Amino acid sequence: MSRLNYTVVWLSHVLMIFSSISFNAWPSEADNEKIFSNIEYSALLETQWAYGISRKSSQKLQFIYEPEINIELPNNQKFTMIGRLRGDIEDNLEPGNPSQTELSPISRRALIGDHIDLALREFYYEAAVGDTYLTLGKQQIVWGQADGLKLLDVVNPQDFREFILDDFSRSRIPLWTVNTELSIHDTVLQLIWIPDQTYHALPESNALYAFTSPLLVPAAPSGVDLNLQPVDKPNRFFTDADYGARLTSFVGGWDLTLNYLYHYNDIPVLFRTLTSGPQPTVTITPRYERSHLLGGTFSNAFGNFVLRGEVGYSTDRYFLVPDRDDRDGVNKSDELAYVIGLDWSGIEDTFLSVQLFQSHLVDNQPELARDKVDTTLTFLARHNFLNDHLVAEVLWIQSANNGDGLVRPKISYEWQDNFKIWAGMDIFFGDQTGLFGQFSSNDRLAVGIVWGL
Amino acid sequence: MKHKKNLFNQLLVISISTLIWVNLALAESDQLSGLEIAQQVNARDEGEAVSRNLVMEMIDRRGKKRVRETRGFRKYYGAEKRTIIFYLQPKNVRKTAFLTYDYPQVDDDQWLYLPAMRKVRRISSSDRGDYFLGTDFTYEDIKKEGKLGIEDYTWRKIGEEIIDDHHSYIVEAIPINDEVAKELGYGKVIYSVDSNIWMVRQAKSWDIRGNALKTVHTRDIYQVQNIWTAHTLEVSNHKTGHNTRFLFSDIDYSTGVTDDVFTQQSLRRGL
Repeated sequence: MSRLNYTVVWLSHVLMIFSSISFNAWPSEADNEKIFSNIEYSALLETQWAYGISRKSSQKLQFIYEPEINIELPNNQKFTMIGRLRGDIEDNLEPGNPSQTELSPISRRALIGDHIDLALREFYYEAAVGDTYLTLGKQQIVWGQADGLKLLDVVNPQDFREFILDDFSRSRIPLWTVNTELSIHDTVLQLIWIPDQTYHALPESNALYAFTSPLLVPAAPSGVDLNLQPVDKPNRFFTDADYGARLTSFVGGWDLTLNYLYHYNDIPVLFRTLTSGPQPTVTITPRYERSHLLGGTFSNAFGNFVLRGEVGYSTDRYFLVPDRDDRDGVNKSDELAYVIGLDWSGIEDTFLSVQLFQSHLVDNQPELARDKVDTTLTFLARHNFLNDHLVAEVLWIQSANNGDGLVRPKISYEWQDNFKIWAGMDIFFGDQTGLFGQFSSNDRLAVGIVWGL
Repeated sequence: MKHKKNLFNQLLVISISTLIWVNLALAESDQLSGLEIAQQVNARDEGEAVSRNLVMEMIDRRGKKRVRETRGFRKYYGAEKRTIIFYLQPKNVRKTAFLTYDYPQVDDDQWLYLPAMRKVRRISSSDRGDYFLGTDFTYEDIKKEGKLGIEDYTWRKIGEEIIDDHHSYIVEAIPINDEVAKELGYGKVIYSVDSNIWMVRQAKSWDIRGNALKTVHTRDIYQVQNIWTAHTLEVSNHKTGHNTRFLFSDIDYSTGVTDDVFTQQSLRRGL
């Protein structure tokens, strides 16, 4: 028996211990044989190169290998493991070895030198027990109906090493989660418990996509020393876990959900104190803060149109105050946010979609760095050619408040069943104080090859 | 001797009766209108539920072939039909899944799960003339599964022919109005319907401008658990030169399919 086979047998015993909790079934030789016959291996191999147009230099030359193993177990149980080996010759996105302090130790990547990292992306066990469906382990949970920007899709944090340019399924950070879905007639109640204290992976200050917008980062006053304190990060297994629930139903043609999440916001609040004296010092103390998120989603089709949307009310959100005389540099407010999207596919092989995002701060605080009402629009146009061999699309994201935005034209061609090539551009525009404008010198041309194994 | 003579007479009577009955039946079916033939096609037993594997081969005009392996389930709930298709191979479309609730009177509800987005998306059911995920079948073709959209067309029997050694009626179907024609993408369809088992053996379609569009050929028809079943469907698109072949296998009408297969949760979780 090969080493791989021994590993799988060992793994099958671990899984059977899991399953024996509910099924009291210790693996027999027959079970092992059945497991072997139901192992499925696949992988993605991808190369990406991005060239910075303004800086006239390569942003990344990246190789990704994503193996996936699926095992079907007796009694409708399943096990999935997805890994990722990633190498980047340029090392501009995460120069050196990033600290990964935002991630819990069990969710961190293994860094092999400055250029290679290895990650266990997903590792979960699934089982149906009566009307309940269990998914236990490291996984992604995706809520919401919006594309391109996130409102309720906040269960999992995100890796911002390429801002929002990477695919969400790849930039979303999977978390160790207990996920149960209980079917009650036509309604599904999902309950989630996330003891994994992992939050957004934010680029460090020397990274290409480091945040610089005053909407996100306080500006240090001139002539003042800066003292950045370590992040006050939650670390209690039970007390600091996130909890969530979602009710999903299909009523009269409408897909409806009601969502609730009690969670730590994934970006730490930057509390600021100013110490006067012969050498004034600004001390920044980053701390993660709790929030309740209550919301819902809807979607329905009307002729050639699909109407979809989501709404969320968040308590205790913190926003930067630029005034250096402010007591702690941040103010707290509840936030009501929503997105309405309209998709149209009235022309053959063509898909058009518009979305309106709006965020309202419930408390009127004119001193904040951001506006009370923040509006963003998105527009997506896609056309398929040659029986879907060739797909051309453009995504345009526009901030109505700051006038900045992002345009992303892309074309992809399926050369063979398992071989796809693509090329695209990411063009940021607008003032550098804006969320998108801060990267206006990072415009890039990107090409990639994707090979399925 | 007398006993043998009686037996001969009895056999003669039975044979003549059978011949008369067959002739009457044939005469009756000869008088069927186009609409009645279409109704016979739709009345054909296709089982309450079915599970099956489907390999989709898509061949472009230069002969380059793409292959998709899927597993599908279909179940009737009275007049409502629910269908789900899971993509198994190749890797770049693996875990893509398509679910439809087909209602007799109102627009269908349809969802698509795209693994790259990890989201179930609602899709518009009016795009029934659009081509289904790169094939030469439209969403409507996929949904109908060999049955006919009786309410969308006016029907006329225009002749008879032998297709694949089987006697067939030739039925012309014209969309009831321009709007329906535009939705379906067809200006006219000529169906060749097997007069014995009431299956469409061939369908030739024209676009709304009257140009030859597609020919669908149904092959490898034989019974599975007493239900006549097509195992190969071939489509030639005359405008693009693109061809699609559907190959069905592991067809099972008898085991049954549980209701929870036809849910958005199932779409997301996959097989």
